[in-house]
Amino acid sequence: MRAFYLLLKVAAILVWSAFVIAPFLWALTTSFKTANGVTGGPTYIPWVDYQPSLAAWQGLFGSGAGSIDIVGPFISSVMVTLSASLVSLVLGTLAAYGLSRFSYKAGPVGNSDLTFFFVSQRIMPPVVLAIPFFLMLGWLGLLDTVLGLIIVYVALLLPIAVWVMVDFFNTIPKELDETAMIDGCTPIEAFWRVILPNAVPGLVVAGIFCIIFGWNDFFFAFTLTFTQTQLLPVAIVSLNSSVTPWWSLSASALISVTPLIVVAFLVERYLDKGSIGGRK
Amino acid sequence: MYGLTRYKLFFLLPGLIVLLAIILFPLVFTIRVSFSGWDAMTPGLGWIGGNNYGRLLADGRFWQSLGRLGMIASTAVALEYALGFALALLVWRQIRFRRVVRVLFLIPMMTTPVVMAVIWRTIFHESLGPVNDFVALFGIPPVQWLTSPEWATFVVILVDVWQWTPFMFLLLLAGLLSLPREPLLAAAIDGAGPIRAFLNVTFPAMAPISVGAIIIRLIEASKIMETVYVVTSGGPGTSTETSSYYIFIRGLRDFQIGYAAALSITYLVIMIVLLTIIAKVLTKTLVKAEG
Amino acid sequence: MKFGRLACLASLLAMTTSSSALAQGADYSRFGIDQDVPGACSYEAIDAKDYSGRQLNIITHAVPVIGEPTDLHATQFAELTGAKVNVVHVPFGDLFQRILIPFQTGQNAYDVLFYGSLWIGDLNPFLAPVPEAYQNVSGMQDVTRNYIDVAKWGDTMVQYPVDGDRHYLKYRSDIFSNAEAQARYKDATGKDLSVPETWEDYNEIARVFSGWDWDGDGNANYGSAEVTKRDDLMFSAFISRAAPYARNPNVKGGFFFDLETMEPQVNNPGFVKGLELFVDASKDWAPGGASWGLGDEIFAFGGGQTLMSYSWDDAFVQAQQEDSAIRNHVAAAPLPGARDVWNRKTGKWDHFDEPSRAPYITWGWTSAVSNRSTSQDMAFDYLCFFSNEANTQHDLQVGRFGVNPYRKAHFDPSLWTDKMGWDAALTDTYVKTLAGMDESQNRVFDLRVPGVSQFMTSLATGVAAALAGQQTPQDALDGVAAEWKSIVERIGVDNVRDAYARVVALEDNL
Repeated sequence: MRAFYLLLKVAAILVWSAFVIAPFLWALTTSFKTANGVTGGPTYIPWVDYQPSLAAWQGLFGSGAGSIDIVGPFISSVMVTLSASLVSLVLGTLAAYGLSRFSYKAGPVGNSDLTFFFVSQRIMPPVVLAIPFFLMLGWLGLLDTVLGLIIVYVALLLPIAVWVMVDFFNTIPKELDETAMIDGCTPIEAFWRVILPNAVPGLVVAGIFCIIFGWNDFFFAFTLTFTQTQLLPVAIVSLNSSVTPWWSLSASALISVTPLIVVAFLVERYLDKGSIGGRK
Repeated sequence: MYGLTRYKLFFLLPGLIVLLAIILFPLVFTIRVSFSGWDAMTPGLGWIGGNNYGRLLADGRFWQSLGRLGMIASTAVALEYALGFALALLVWRQIRFRRVVRVLFLIPMMTTPVVMAVIWRTIFHESLGPVNDFVALFGIPPVQWLTSPEWATFVVILVDVWQWTPFMFLLLLAGLLSLPREPLLAAAIDGAGPIRAFLNVTFPAMAPISVGAIIIRLIEASKIMETVYVVTSGGPGTSTETSSYYIFIRGLRDFQIGYAAALSITYLVIMIVLLTIIAKVLTKTLVKAEG
Repeated sequence: MKFGRLACLASLLAMTTSSSALAQGADYSRFGIDQDVPGACSYEAIDAKDYSGRQLNIITHAVPVIGEPTDLHATQFAELTGAKVNVVHVPFGDLFQRILIPFQTGQNAYDVLFYGSLWIGDLNPFLAPVPEAYQNVSGMQDVTRNYIDVAKWGDTMVQYPVDGDRHYLKYRSDIFSNAEAQARYKDATGKDLSVPETWEDYNEIARVFSGWDWDGDGNANYGSAEVTKRDDLMFSAFISRAAPYARNPNVKGGFFFDLETMEPQVNNPGFVKGLELFVDASKDWAPGGASWGLGDEIFAFGGGQTLMSYSWDDAFVQAQQEDSAIRNHVAAAPLPGARDVWNRKTGKWDHFDEPSRAPYITWGWTSAVSNRSTSQDMAFDYLCFFSNEANTQHDLQVGRFGVNPYRKAHFDPSLWTDKMGWDAALTDTYVKTLAGMDESQNRVFDLRVPGVSQFMTSLATGVAAALAGQQTPQDALDGVAAEWKSIVERIGVDNVRDAYARVVALEDNL
């Protein structure tokens, strides 16, 4: 019976892994094709099925016209994503702790309404927000700047941080802070010394969500910039011509995911550390 | 007591004020725009009263797209939740290659949706893509992945499930990892089997996170736009056109900013009402089970 | 915060400004051109200008179509003049809003714009007229009538022609001349196989050559590849198909609308006939053919999967790539026509023994200078340089650039046979087809009015509903016409009529 369970488990993991990897494998093999490797029907194995070419990759890393410049947008992307995520995480965690532990009342508005207010900011379809944000940044003189994007991204990411953290704080027993406060800690000290260390998995999760949503947003990155500031998704999507070159798009898809895989490894590690802290 | 109020505000206010400062103008502005005829020809806030809202009430395409969106989003999120939970349970405990497997499970979420949508489109390309090639191995004739309403809907959902199951997986895994151990141990001592332990201990303890995860995913899934644009562009006919895609078409394709604002505000109100109800219902059914 | 391309250009600049000073009057072949062609915007003339310390901001399409040549010539321009040139690439779907939002909100974001010429109705208030001097340069003088017309808003040239786009028919000449294929066609239909002259013929040929392996590569082949994905330029394909049935050479005063009444014509029997034939053709498309974007169409015909297709040059160019298996096995022809053409004045069908053709001068890439730009001199110099004879000659030869013939010189067969190695017979069909469109007296232009996107998405939605079987062609187009009426009302009848009158003036050869 145990062996059967184990087999089932392994089988499930393998099936899902295959599903996850399949598009990447397809992108990988496509990235080495030229038109001839695509138009004759699906091909899979280089040299056997089609004649591989490095053209797509050279296009990305080459220096000539027609290649996209990855480095500048990459740095801008990192700056915008990390700054906005950090600000959102700090403000969001504080607000979430407040919402989880104290009760707020302003007329009919209570805690759950406040929490929902935060998260409801994400409901609005971005399409129509483009113009007001554009005007706002225009008045502030922040169009086409990294700072302007950071401001907008905080509005997009803060709700995520608050929502995730409220849930995590709610799973941490209140007795913990109460004990700390009885021991003479102020609420801030209790939060900092006792609760926060216990909320590391939550922080990690909220952080990675901020990073992912920030990194991959491309709508605002697109609308609120002109020529000076470019983020990575925008640079990559600039390959998406009306005549889609399957190969270069595949190559760029693989490139854009790489930095976040590093993030995934880091996150995974802290998830575990967090779990150790959490178990006490 | 004064002290407590001070602390209360210390925690909440910074985030609230920053958010309000950034979002207030766009929100108010959008409401105002929804009463204007802003389009490519006449930009600006020229007041046209409730015309946009009147037009919207009669706009069958919008209401149909809402229904379609409800179906697509709820199916996708339900699948993601079930699969994400299952995957989290699979790799929760010590297993071999745990790190690699966990990271692997996270990766789809890290990809840029627009770019992956193009890859998916090539995968489901009915004559040049690998999927129909694969089904042909079993003697199945080419499936109409993108040209029949049912399969096109299926593909849109599948892409969403591929991309966002990791979101559920990560939230639920973190939740599992931060669970206190004692109740589980107690259950084990009571001689409960793994399934009963799950139903009686783990699942109720995960309820708050589950509700949060489902709500947030519902919000995000409802914004599905780029995937639809790239994979099916709403077709065949209008059979995969969701409200957010419809708003995108009206807003940025047609550049009917005023009308798109009215659509968005309506969408926002509907979603807020629906999500509040869904959150209440979910909390009741999932969290109450605990007590 | 200046990263990226700017930095890269800046360093290039630093490296080369000194050397270009030495290269005065010398040979510019290091830029990849054969030789400089003397003129107002030649390499030499531009090299003589000094724009150092100034910036030029350009918005263009994604790489490679138009985007890549924009980049290439921007780098060269920077090197020659010392200007800083910033280029941003935007996918087609986002280009319109990226250009329009800054205009509407008073930001001076870009000096030079590359975009689809059909947006002229929306963008003309923001465009700087092309100065007299640039209209007189040799390159501009050589631009064919169609593309001068496309560039004009009324009598003012506001767009700078850099590309020629049109729809025409492409077919596999090797199959059409193959005895076995001819016999098979005769068996099936009782007719001789020849290049289709009407859309009825087109559908019939496509039907016979669909679903079997006529090129012997082991995969099934199909008759026709068409752009059918709803929000991906499908409206252009439909207009090409409907035009000959609805555009009557004897009726003046409007194709999409009756200019006098501004009554939409899109649901008249001519358009309905076009849509019925479109729906009829859909039965024989390749798997997935009902959801093909432009890219899919290019792969399908250019890769040898289909016998025919019609749209822009790209599929033809793809088929003629050096390593293409069907290189020199293709040919070009005018779009099919119609024997019975709807006459909206008499309310009857007019019969033509010789099929009536209605070439669709569909939208294509164009360029313009913003009237807010503070560097209009430099901006026009850039566009003039972009399209100088040496550069155009070079760009025409790089298929992926998407630059297609738009000057009389481009119809010189030797360009294609000698430089590109095209077969002489094929070149003949290509050049004659393209040049022939300039001579037509029955042209159809895009609906170049404010809100053109609204009209076209509405049209595409109706056509898609009919193709998907959700509505009959008549119902679908009735819906479109009703929607067009309300769009006209919202935008203002006079606004639309004013703009449309300019289109009709072109169509009626006034």
